[in-house]
Amino acid sequence: MPVPDPFREGLARGWTTYNGAQLTEDLTLEADVAIVGSGAGGGTTAEILSAAGYRVLLIEEGPLKTSHDFKLLEDQAYSSLYQEGLGRMSKDGAIIILQGRAVGGTTLINWTSSFRTPDQTLDHWAAEHNVKGHGRADMAPWFAQMEQRLGVAPWLVPPNANNDVIRKGCEQLGYAWHVIPRNVRGCWNLGYCGMGCPTNAKQSMLVTTIPATLDKGGALLYLARAERLTIKNDAVVGIECQAMDERCVAPTGRRITVKARHYVLAGGGINSPGLLLRSEAPDPHERVGKRTFLHLVNMSVGQFDEVINPFYGAPQSIYSDHFQWQDGTTGKMAYKLEVPPLHPALATTLLGGFGAENAVHMAQLPHTHAMLALLRDGFHPDSPGGSVELRSDGTPVLDYPVSPYTWDGLRRAFHSMAEIQFAGGAKAVMPAHSDAHYVKTLAEARTLIDGLDLALYRTRLGSAHVMGGCAMGEDPKTAVADSLGRHHQLGNLSIHDGSLFPTSIGANPQLSVYGLTAQLATALAERLKTP
Amino acid sequence: MNPSLIDTPALSRRGLLKFSLGASAFLATVGLGVSLSGCSPSQPAAGLIALRDSDLPFLRSVIPVMLEGAVTPERIPAATDETLKSLDNGLAHLSPAMLKLTHQLFDVLTLGITRGPLTGVWGTWENASADDIRQFLARWENSSLDLLRQGHSSLLQLVMMAWYSRPESWARCGYPGPPKI
Repeated sequence: MPVPDPFREGLARGWTTYNGAQLTEDLTLEADVAIVGSGAGGGTTAEILSAAGYRVLLIEEGPLKTSHDFKLLEDQAYSSLYQEGLGRMSKDGAIIILQGRAVGGTTLINWTSSFRTPDQTLDHWAAEHNVKGHGRADMAPWFAQMEQRLGVAPWLVPPNANNDVIRKGCEQLGYAWHVIPRNVRGCWNLGYCGMGCPTNAKQSMLVTTIPATLDKGGALLYLARAERLTIKNDAVVGIECQAMDERCVAPTGRRITVKARHYVLAGGGINSPGLLLRSEAPDPHERVGKRTFLHLVNMSVGQFDEVINPFYGAPQSIYSDHFQWQDGTTGKMAYKLEVPPLHPALATTLLGGFGAENAVHMAQLPHTHAMLALLRDGFHPDSPGGSVELRSDGTPVLDYPVSPYTWDGLRRAFHSMAEIQFAGGAKAVMPAHSDAHYVKTLAEARTLIDGLDLALYRTRLGSAHVMGGCAMGEDPKTAVADSLGRHHQLGNLSIHDGSLFPTSIGANPQLSVYGLTAQLATALAERLKTP
Repeated sequence: MNPSLIDTPALSRRGLLKFSLGASAFLATVGLGVSLSGCSPSQPAAGLIALRDSDLPFLRSVIPVMLEGAVTPERIPAATDETLKSLDNGLAHLSPAMLKLTHQLFDVLTLGITRGPLTGVWGTWENASADDIRQFLARWENSSLDLLRQGHSSLLQLVMMAWYSRPESWARCGYPGPPKI
């Protein structure tokens, strides 16, 4: 029986949508609130504002793809659902950055891990970044509301073998491990969350808040890049958008002008600061794009006698925070440990090399496990993050230098991962680094890791969590927006996405974005009552 | 021994040649080289969307070396074509900024004035042996220039991902493919 596609059913019922690629003439659209970006922040904001009675327009650069389109093929998913066709990288090309770009944003392709913002992080923001109203008690009800809305619950099905390595290894070593809460309803445990959920089990924005917005009479404009905010007298008076072709590569030449009473930026880290920079929005203290964080990721690969099949089953279900707060909030670079799913195209780059060496490693894929460390950046003075800049064609790019403090964290993370992998039953372990090879004992791994030249390009680095760049805080000298997400200089502009975070989160950030933006959107709905 | 551009102090000084995925003095030179030689190859090759005729001899030489062991020897020619097709489709979906950088990478690898000094391959790519190609890859991987190390890493990623996104590659790596929904 075919899986129902509720989005297509909604379109058939007459939802208001505009496909930029198919425009034959320029267009002007009006709304009470125009929201740039349809991911976690934009979707959440749209649902709350439309439920409060406002006419909402969601603007999305990427294409509209629904469950019917998701064929579980890496190439199709990467080229259509990811920023820059999976070509997004740090400016020096050393860090691959996975971010969604389609209706639903990154929520369409994330691995469903849903954590509340850690208390330590919220405390740190209040103490160090002049953030008000986002304390533990303030935020708890918003997280609870969004957990209920999106079906967030610890994964009750046994973990797949890839995740189970963390459990087994940590048990053996006496390290803490926990089950990951996931935003799914009726999940088939397939393992393809990163390519778009084919069964609509993942409670992404595509199947939750965006349909709710469209049911309330909201509108969706997709394949349209918000090129520039038009600014007059400390207010935004419009957004100029370029219609994009079906590949979302080239502008078609058609333009869309959007007029609204209030404007919300929700393009996420990199894109939201990029739009402010392109628009030459007031930035008297040069804060836009600064302090952008990544949860920089390194990985370690393990070979097992038993079958792991790392491409099947819920991609993330077990984590360890054993090393996360060991040295306090602001000590040595700390990390969270999880696993990635391994499908062939991503696996080959993780394993590295080419020819016979890569082929031998790839032939072992069903017996291969991988672990990843998410480095908690932005809490220490030696971890200032990166800066968003504009390329000559006006598109944004992140310059992210890797500091010695960060390299130290990466090396320790290699050690921790190897230790847990051996304790979890690995017969051989290899850090994801060009000079590494499989070694058979922990002692050999320690010697290997201590000797690795941790340099760009040799160390395989990635990120799926772009945060910051439009930091929130009460002091305009250090923040782009206030604690309510209101732009410090432009009265009718708000920012509702992960770019508001003053540091990284220390956990996969989607629920942090949902909770924060639910809180901000609810306050915005109140404020908009007063004309 | 061939003189190597990389070994000349002016060019190996860090910073001067910092590629940083953007226009640099070096790439300006390459661009100049292209326009001087009067063969600015910007049109896609027949039947392809993003790859140009000038890119193909290089890729047809390098891909078989990269796929060694992943494919039986008699399947290499077909696998090379399939990889090229996937690579072309992937490139056709990159942002224009990233596609431009990829084209610049291929220009550096294929234009006479840069190919020899930077890759150590002084003849045409068609005539390069598998060993020549492995040496060129090792040279770039271990170069002191960010530009070349980055080029090495991009090239490997592009080609290997292109092959392993294809169903033809899966049997050999034990991947049964996605489930039917």
